[in-house]
Amino acid sequence: MNRKTILLNVMDNVATALTDLKKGEKVTASLDDKSYEIVLLEDIEMGHKIALRDIAEGETVIKYGMPIGKALSPIRAGQWVHVHNCRSHRWGFHNEKYGLRA
Amino acid sequence: MVDILGYLRPDGQLGIRNHVAIIYTTHCSLVVAEKLHSLFPEGTQVFGYPGGCALREGPFNKIVALGQHSSYAAALVVGLGCEGTEAYMVAEAIAKSGKPVEAVKINQEGGDLKTIEKGSRILVKLLQHASLAERAKMTPADLIVGQECGGSDATSGLASNPITGVAADLLIEAGGTYMHSEVEELLGCGEALAARAVNEQVAREIKEIIEEAERRCFESGRFSWGYGNILGGLTSIDEKSAGCLSKSGTKPLQGILRKYERPKTKGYYIQIGEPGSGTFHGDPEGVNQFAACGAHLCLFTTGCGSTTGGLIPVIKIIANPKRMQLIEDNADFDATPVMRGEKTIREMGEELYKEILAVAAGKRTKSEIYRHYEA
Repeated sequence: MNRKTILLNVMDNVATALTDLKKGEKVTASLDDKSYEIVLLEDIEMGHKIALRDIAEGETVIKYGMPIGKALSPIRAGQWVHVHNCRSHRWGFHNEKYGLRA
Repeated sequence: MVDILGYLRPDGQLGIRNHVAIIYTTHCSLVVAEKLHSLFPEGTQVFGYPGGCALREGPFNKIVALGQHSSYAAALVVGLGCEGTEAYMVAEAIAKSGKPVEAVKINQEGGDLKTIEKGSRILVKLLQHASLAERAKMTPADLIVGQECGGSDATSGLASNPITGVAADLLIEAGGTYMHSEVEELLGCGEALAARAVNEQVAREIKEIIEEAERRCFESGRFSWGYGNILGGLTSIDEKSAGCLSKSGTKPLQGILRKYERPKTKGYYIQIGEPGSGTFHGDPEGVNQFAACGAHLCLFTTGCGSTTGGLIPVIKIIANPKRMQLIEDNADFDATPVMRGEKTIREMGEELYKEILAVAAGKRTKSEIYRHYEA
């Protein structure tokens, strides 16, 4: 079966959707010996990120094994991770220009 | 394992292609140089310095470095005669590599036609010389590979760049050399790269270069970031940079190539070009900067699709299934199985590494077949 998500680094706490995914769908995200089974709590578009485990408020979101921002609120496994709940402490101000709160 | 039969040059370099360079030293000699190329399209490539009226160190070094490239068995320099970037001076500098280099000046020969006639006779002689080039076996350890991106989209960071990172690691494990540029795309990656530096000095250098790029962005208010990035799923500049950094693989950073010089050791390098020659440049210009640093070929990751070529073979990699279907005629490596969830990044990276070896062994890329010898 084709993978529906991509996990880029074993350190990551998010995976990325390779296709548009629906709320309630069960997806697998795996790389090497890491594997997560996640039920999606909301629709997630292709190219967007899914929390692989619960992420606490203020915790670092990791993709490619690199910090990409901090959680603005608690994020549950299966939730969409994007500008509404994750923000870079260095560059986040830029999103405001586009009318996005985060 | 593919056998790579290279061309042994007098300075010990090993080339994977065998051309004669036609080099114009000023805008005024460009037309004659291109006419000479059109008379011998198979065995020649043309490049030069359009602004050669004045002599400037950076561009001068670049055309000399390109003239000395391992792809060229010989070179013909074409000047007008009154420019600061004097043709014999360029020829003499290139000839230090031991290859035959000749020069003609349009003012001395007496116009276009006489220069073309004389230049043609010289080219016949140089092309014959090239055909006799000594062959020598090459291994992946002899290869220098560049990496450039253009027309990036969401698939670049998810598939194409990580794949080139895997191929880079495999090449370096085999003893080869890999380089990329575009530090402006690596904002926030200074610490991560410094941690990979082979020594303190390289660590300091890369941190300074990226901090400087960040300062320029803050001062100008211009970041490589827009609403389209957010719509595509990117949450932060940090995330975009991390996707870009994935093309670098995981090996130690040996150094920063600031001038048009070949890497002194094997392994992973970042190339930033000669100071003053601009930090943002077109894609073929980027490819040729790698060539000026000795790269034999260039990987090119593109999301939207691209026609980019240059003086060295370009392997164009596309992971976006829709774009791949549309622009397949110009693509060399189909990375769409990653986006379709059929293959892993590791598997596709291994395939890309094999493709690098095949191109080194003589397989022609689309940019070569179409003669996209942009310069």
